Amino acid sequence: MEKLHRNIKLIFAVFCGLFLCLLGYLTYFQVYERQKLIESSYNRRLWEQEESITRGTVYDIKGRVLAATVEENGVKRRVYPQGPAFGPLLGYSSRKLGRAGLEEVLNGELLGISQQDPMLVLRQKVLGVSKGNDVYLTIDSDLQKKAYELFRGRRGALVALDPNTGAVLAMVSSPGYNPGLAEQQWEALSKDEASPLLNRAIQGLYPPGSSFKIVTLAAALEGIPDIEKKTYETPGYVKVNGRVIRDYEGMEPGNYDVKKAFRHSSNSVFVKIGLELGKERLFAKAQEFGFNSRIPFELPVTVSRFPGFSLMSDDVELAEDSIGQGRLLATPLQMALVTSTVANGGKMVQPYIVHKAVTPLGYVKNFQKTGFTKQVIDGVTANKIREYMVDVVENGTGTPAKIQGIPVAGKTGSAENPHGKPHAWFVGFAPAHDPKIAVAVVVENAGSGGRNAGPIARDIILQYLKGLR
Amino acid sequence: MDSKVEATYNRALSAMALVGFISFLLLSIYRKPLSPVPFYGAVTFLSIVFIGYFFTGWIFPSSDKFLFILAGFLVELGLIMLCRINIELFKRQVAFFALGVGFFILSSILTRYFVRLELNPVYLWGITTALLLLPLLFGVEKGGARNWLAFGGFTFQPSELAKITFVFYLAGVVKQNKINHFPRLAAEILAAVGLLVLSRDLGGAMLFYLTALAVIFAATSRLDVTAAGLFAAGIMGVLSYNLFDHVRVRIEAWLNPWQDVPGRGYQIAQSLFAIAEGGYFGTGLGLGRPDFIPAVATDFIFSAFTEEFGFLGAAAVILMYFLLVYRGIRIALRLKDSYPALIALGHTVMFGMQIFTIIGGVIKLIPVTGVTLPFMSYGGSSMVMSFTSLGILNGLWLQAREGETDGETA
Repeated sequence: MEKLHRNIKLIFAVFCGLFLCLLGYLTYFQVYERQKLIESSYNRRLWEQEESITRGTVYDIKGRVLAATVEENGVKRRVYPQGPAFGPLLGYSSRKLGRAGLEEVLNGELLGISQQDPMLVLRQKVLGVSKGNDVYLTIDSDLQKKAYELFRGRRGALVALDPNTGAVLAMVSSPGYNPGLAEQQWEALSKDEASPLLNRAIQGLYPPGSSFKIVTLAAALEGIPDIEKKTYETPGYVKVNGRVIRDYEGMEPGNYDVKKAFRHSSNSVFVKIGLELGKERLFAKAQEFGFNSRIPFELPVTVSRFPGFSLMSDDVELAEDSIGQGRLLATPLQMALVTSTVANGGKMVQPYIVHKAVTPLGYVKNFQKTGFTKQVIDGVTANKIREYMVDVVENGTGTPAKIQGIPVAGKTGSAENPHGKPHAWFVGFAPAHDPKIAVAVVVENAGSGGRNAGPIARDIILQYLKGLR
Repeated sequence: MDSKVEATYNRALSAMALVGFISFLLLSIYRKPLSPVPFYGAVTFLSIVFIGYFFTGWIFPSSDKFLFILAGFLVELGLIMLCRINIELFKRQVAFFALGVGFFILSSILTRYFVRLELNPVYLWGITTALLLLPLLFGVEKGGARNWLAFGGFTFQPSELAKITFVFYLAGVVKQNKINHFPRLAAEILAAVGLLVLSRDLGGAMLFYLTALAVIFAATSRLDVTAAGLFAAGIMGVLSYNLFDHVRVRIEAWLNPWQDVPGRGYQIAQSLFAIAEGGYFGTGLGLGRPDFIPAVATDFIFSAFTEEFGFLGAAAVILMYFLLVYRGIRIALRLKDSYPALIALGHTVMFGMQIFTIIGGVIKLIPVTGVTLPFMSYGGSSMVMSFTSLGILNGLWLQAREGETDGETA
């Protein structure tokens, strides 16, 4: 009997182990496996949820519909009334193609499944709400469409920001496409070498060219004592370790101070300034402006690159960096941020595009970001750069962006690249002393920045400021 | 009986009534169109619970009431899910429960006589094999296993009854020291297990085999035999993996269900999706999707339960089953004679292994084998026979208590 009892206890111990295994595995499952399974594309709950939920509507800042789900004879269809100007930004949501753009990023919101508050979820479940949240963007759809038209089908991108808040007013990538027709036109769209599916504003990497001189200037004003009193004599080119970097055609040789060099976008003078600054200081300033780190934004932004120190680092590379050439690459959003930082007195604010979401029961979730602001350059320096940029538009390379009665601050860029004519850049903001809008425009292989990108920026600034009055 | 213990039981009973009342009220309201059926069902169910509880308390003042409360609670949770899944199954399950309670009382009474009878194990083995053979000859196939008998409108699973006779056989045979005729014993057990394998009831085969091992080990303390038995089980497993298609399918579905979700991994994947959806607190009663889970009323009821009651509910159920096993072990330890102790142990191991097999299966801890979750799964045979087993445990408990009081007076 003694032995029997011992054996029974042993068997019981085995059962204790087995049941502990059950509990342990269930715990493990909840902690490590659960999320994967909930999001698994095989999970019918997900499909059902999507089928049964009417996807929320996307509005612009003024309440105009950008994307909506309509039901015809019981069949739900996603429509995009604003057409191709919004294609790369909004993306699409389709059973066949999956999702892209804001439709992908905001999926949880639009389906109403990203609610954090469990009571809210329960309330909607009990009340049988089968509609996702409506999302309001900071975009002004008139501005967006106007900008898209200004590209006239040329490849390029435009980002317009409110420099005070970081709200994205327009984000255009050209050529675009109509997301409503994405399914039908998929073959053509995916093969088109103009890559209409790409959102160039945040995924396109371009050499920023002379528009980067804003960063070089900022570093110089802060880093080189009495820089404003210095003059540089230039024969119209500069030789660095045997490499010749020329100024643009039509720029007269002679004595240039830094303001004049900025006005005429003198490569030779800025190379000299860059060499005087040294790699460390230019690199540090570029990093502060957001290069080499991911810009926090609702949509995934490609990281702009300022090449760091390497075996290849030499004066030639530094020379090219100083004028935004070489291996230096930036997204249009990055350059818009550089501009808006100057406009905002040296303070960089985080860009955002989702204004608010409204649940079907009327609960408003605000998305305005107030965090992430950092002083990239001090206020005095920022004001100097502002005056320099006004000078560029008044008297320099940026005159095509001049507006009667409104002072515009700007900087042009004509970025050399291996694909043909230079990319035309214009970055700027207006009104110069009370900035309401900051813009970055790039037109691929269009030639001179002032002549080709400047007018686009001007028209957008003008339209936006008119709308404010 | 101790009044403190009595109070605990009464508290458990009222908690159970409260849970039932709230849940079924919710289901009555939630059902569209509004239906009073869940409510009537609940009233009927709770009445049976109370009648059963007080009746057993009245005729056997010293019976292990905790067994009945635990089983009743588990049945209630199963009924809540069934009511949600399929109202027809719910109605029938309430009837099965009533029948089960009847059998519980009956077997509580009869066990002592049966134990005293000490039927020759050869007869019991004969009954067991006959029960397992019948469906192979006359049976119908359900859910891939040919272990059902059909009489008119009723179907019956003889292997459920065979579990009980098999345990009696085991206790009898090891008590008679038949262990010395080891080849014969092994042949007899393997014959029963083999019949289950033939009817494709792999879960059943595993249960019978492991129960036999446990009882033999408890009686003989032979670790070598047990180890050899487990080793042999491993070999049989590998063999059947290579021989039988349906075994291979299950093992592969277990190892990687994501390779073929629409096909062989379907069942387990749906079960896991449900458990994942539940999270810690569950979606709430009535808000899950049991309709996505195959065999949800029987084998996969635990997954549906976990979806709606969450990890916490699932853990509570596992702990309740654990308590049931604990009570069974406690009974086995209280008994003075080895024969009834082995019977109690056999039934407990059978219960425990079955619970582990199916819960472990649906959460993908082990491969899925089609066995029911005692008390919770839908099914008359399972319900009635589970209660009969429970009644036998209760009967043995009564016997143990009598033995103790006899000893005190003597």
